[in-house]
Amino acid sequence: MSALFEYDDDREIASAAKVRALEALLIKKGVLGSDSVDTVLRHFETVAGSFNGARIVARAWVDPAYKQRLLDDTPKAIAELNFPLGMDGAEGEHMKAVANTPETHNLIICTLCSCYPWPVLGLPPYWYKDPVFRSRGVREPRAVLKEFGVPIAPEREVKVWDSSAQIRWFVVPERPAGSEHLSEDELAELITPEAMMGVALVPSPKVA
Amino acid sequence: MFTKFEEYAANQMLGQPDSPPRASGKLYFSEEWQRTVFGMAMALSKEGHFEWEDFRQKLIQSIAAWERDACGGQTTWDYYDRYAMALMAVLEEYGVIEAGEVASLAAMS
Repeated sequence: MSALFEYDDDREIASAAKVRALEALLIKKGVLGSDSVDTVLRHFETVAGSFNGARIVARAWVDPAYKQRLLDDTPKAIAELNFPLGMDGAEGEHMKAVANTPETHNLIICTLCSCYPWPVLGLPPYWYKDPVFRSRGVREPRAVLKEFGVPIAPEREVKVWDSSAQIRWFVVPERPAGSEHLSEDELAELITPEAMMGVALVPSPKVA
Repeated sequence: MFTKFEEYAANQMLGQPDSPPRASGKLYFSEEWQRTVFGMAMALSKEGHFEWEDFRQKLIQSIAAWERDACGGQTTWDYYDRYAMALMAVLEEYGVIEAGEVASLAAMS
């Protein structure tokens, strides 16, 4: 039975060798620049990703005036934070932040295509394009949120924001209890893309 | 809609049979060679060596071929294994490399 789960080390080594050989061959042929791989991956690793969204939310948590500016004019408030170039491109222009409060919980979905604020949330999760998630998110958001482990009290309003090419929404989740002593950077560490989609809450920091 | 090739290219795959592994909003690589092969395909297409869609079709075919394999003889699933095969196939089709060139290099290394 355990043989089913054994990983073939030889194949892993062979794949790695093949890829290295291909890379060397393409560089030798002058087809691939020696830093081309890092250049394209930099986009996903350091330019556009949920690390940006986490920084924005953490700033909003520590600075109420910033939070207000973020909710009033999201692209302008984001521009204040001096993100790397490329972060404020067409994908960023139409972003709009909505804040969770004790009275309201926000959920973002996209019923038309798969609009997603990449510069602040990174790559969408597997289920984001799933037609079932999309339609149920509109029809029965409370049931969907409960399945995600986020039950919403009946007296609390649930707002569903449908992203489109015109507006890409993201959620400013509530700052968790017990996080008062954390620095802005430490707060950013707590914030996940799921929390900024409204399908998760930000957990209280672990007591060291 | 997308102004960056990288975002356009990745977005074409999302929710499709060739959707890449990811976690917490990031691409997920368990080995360095996986990161290399992902970046190579994207960089080469960005520089015009092949159409991204042609590469994607090879990748989808490569994944489908793995799924058709009989359970007994099926190799362990590895997305980036299929990805590497698809990249070599599209590079051969576009005449960037010749058939067998990589295999002979890998055998020497």
